Amino acid sequence: MAARYYDGVTADVQEVTLKITSHELLIHRPAESDVLARWPVADMVVLGDSHHEAVPPLALRGSDARLVVEDPVWRSQLVSLVPALKPLALEPLKVAPRLGAYSLAIVALVGLFWSAVEYGTEYAVPLLPYTLQAKLGETVLDELLADKETCQGRAGLAAINRLANDLAKEAGYKHEVTVHIVEGGPVNAFTLPGSILVFYSDLITQAKDSSQVAGVLAHEIGHVVHDHPIKGVARAYGIDLLFKVLTGGYSDILSTFGTGGGALLAMRNGRAFEREADATGVRLLEQRGLRADGVSTFFEQMLQKEPSDAASAAGIWSSHPPTRERIEATKRPATGRPAFSAAEWQALRNVCK
Amino acid sequence: MQAAGPTLAGTSSPTSAPGTPWSADLTPSRPVYDGRLGEIYAIYLRHLALMLVTLGWSRFWGRTRIRRYVWNHLSVLGDRFEYRGRGIELMIGFVLALLVVAAWSGLMYLVWLYVLHEKPFASFGLFDLFSLSVVLIGFPLAYVGHYAGLRYKLSRTRWRGIRCGMAGSAWGYGATATFLHFANAMTAYLLTPVVSVNLARPRIVNTRVGTQGFAFAGRAGDIYGRYLGYYFLNILAWVAAAVATFMAVGGTLETLGVSSDDFLKLFAHPSLHTVVVLLLVAFGAYLLFGLLILPLRCWWQAYLLRYLVTHSRAGNVLFATAISTWQMWGFLVLNYLIVLLTLGIGWPWVMHRTMKLIAGQLWIYGAPQGSEIRQPADRGPGYGEGLLDLFDVSGI
Repeated sequence: MAARYYDGVTADVQEVTLKITSHELLIHRPAESDVLARWPVADMVVLGDSHHEAVPPLALRGSDARLVVEDPVWRSQLVSLVPALKPLALEPLKVAPRLGAYSLAIVALVGLFWSAVEYGTEYAVPLLPYTLQAKLGETVLDELLADKETCQGRAGLAAINRLANDLAKEAGYKHEVTVHIVEGGPVNAFTLPGSILVFYSDLITQAKDSSQVAGVLAHEIGHVVHDHPIKGVARAYGIDLLFKVLTGGYSDILSTFGTGGGALLAMRNGRAFEREADATGVRLLEQRGLRADGVSTFFEQMLQKEPSDAASAAGIWSSHPPTRERIEATKRPATGRPAFSAAEWQALRNVCK
Repeated sequence: MQAAGPTLAGTSSPTSAPGTPWSADLTPSRPVYDGRLGEIYAIYLRHLALMLVTLGWSRFWGRTRIRRYVWNHLSVLGDRFEYRGRGIELMIGFVLALLVVAAWSGLMYLVWLYVLHEKPFASFGLFDLFSLSVVLIGFPLAYVGHYAGLRYKLSRTRWRGIRCGMAGSAWGYGATATFLHFANAMTAYLLTPVVSVNLARPRIVNTRVGTQGFAFAGRAGDIYGRYLGYYFLNILAWVAAAVATFMAVGGTLETLGVSSDDFLKLFAHPSLHTVVVLLLVAFGAYLLFGLLILPLRCWWQAYLLRYLVTHSRAGNVLFATAISTWQMWGFLVLNYLIVLLTLGIGWPWVMHRTMKLIAGQLWIYGAPQGSEIRQPADRGPGYGEGLLDLFDVSGI
């Protein structure tokens, strides 16, 4: 049995022949009777296995010496004599069935992972400690408002916060909602984790009546009660992780590609969230017997200003559904009590003065 | 293996310390790579499946398995390499690097609390402070990670049972690399040969196979002429491509009946749709330019690699390569496209191609005196690659 022997002390390579007895392996040079080394069988180990290493080296425990038997037939013979050396000549694995099995497993796992991100967050996110969500929301709010003026009219803020909390309670929401009003534009409002709502004063001043502000507020409360902000963060993180794991985390090119894909999925999630918030907002107003036509009239007003409808033009790149679709979905009769009293509405209109 | 290799710089008058016996035997050989693509894929796909199950935490073990396969299927002078790294060592390295970042985050939080008093400066808040500071420390740490990662890989590599290794300071290398890259950027990349040679030198001369060190006789001055040629040709190529594109776009617009005024209006009041289309066109043009102009870059990169290899030696063993511009294009551009177009699944194929390229293009002249190379006392770092994992995109 021929092999290459490295003594572990120098980089000398020696062609040797092997002789195995019941308890030791004798290593000697061909045509020489002198034994170069004696390895007790009990102390012999295989470094690696033949599924990964082309030729797994044999070593003596506690030593740097190596024996390499290139011939697979001789390796098999060695294993038949010393079964403990089995990794030296494992049964060759058929590549095609393994490739097929792993590919199927990957497809199934991606499906599972995707479902966990898509549906699991629905149940897992509400379990996140609320204090963490609030801390995250406050930190983001501080940064967003850093260079902006906020409106401090007490009566106006009290009015909008009163309605926000009434609507949240109507939905069975347990935490207190806080509304901040930023001076100026754009005509917009958004929700942060930790039940934090931000309104821009232009939205209030350009609203035709109080029902429009109430409608937008109810829509934002829809985001709050469905935990949309934190669900959005969790899903974005989950999708990002999926891309990283799938691409082996090895390529910056693919991370860029993944970020693009992730952004698209986030937009899709955003559209679903908006539809849900629209429906919930209208429902909450109706449940309290308040006018619920404000959202649709607000959208109609927006559409009159910008008939091209950016959300529709952007298609899959838009975080919001097309405005016409939202108008149809939220259209309600102009019946019900006003959401704000006349005094509250007046105070809210003057909140920045 | 006996074969006629490429012309070897310096073989006619080898440089040795006085008194060093010179081995006249410069028999050429090449490394042999006998890995099979299907087998690598089987290991890689198993690794991907486990990554999905463990949310990426199995990557340390997956990477180790792939290295074991690749290393042991490569042999030099008939002796295969061994990879003896362990997944747990990579994981410890990663966790330690995470702790460094956590400590840094803590420090930034203290700055936020006691220096900025929790008040954002303009719109520069806690997140910006953290992100910017991580980017700032990330640049030098990525270079430190490169060196430390190489040291780890070498310390877990054996040839003829002898451990390889790497001397020198990773922090020193990180400082040098940061300074040189900064200086290069400040001088419109005219210092590239200085950067290439001075960063290759520590990596080459500090590499060890047992007690056998490597030597590097390269000088930036040798390659400046070629670099300046590449530098100015590159500028010319970009200008020519830009003019050609401008003319092509102008011509197309006219044939479509769009006047220059109409075109300008599009820019004055761009819709989101226009912006997206423009971004896509710009990306397409960038890719097209890149593919046209990259051969020029490959011409320079192939030259640089040939220079670095032929000016390196290990004792009496000399190295050479005749890698061509076309082969470098396959290595840099085609591999990039394979990974991109297969969404990463082509990575093992790229690795396989790279190993075959090394085996086909690296020529080794002579053989070391095995008895003179001894096992080193140093066992290398106890863990590895954490910084590389965090601050850099590391391959296998």
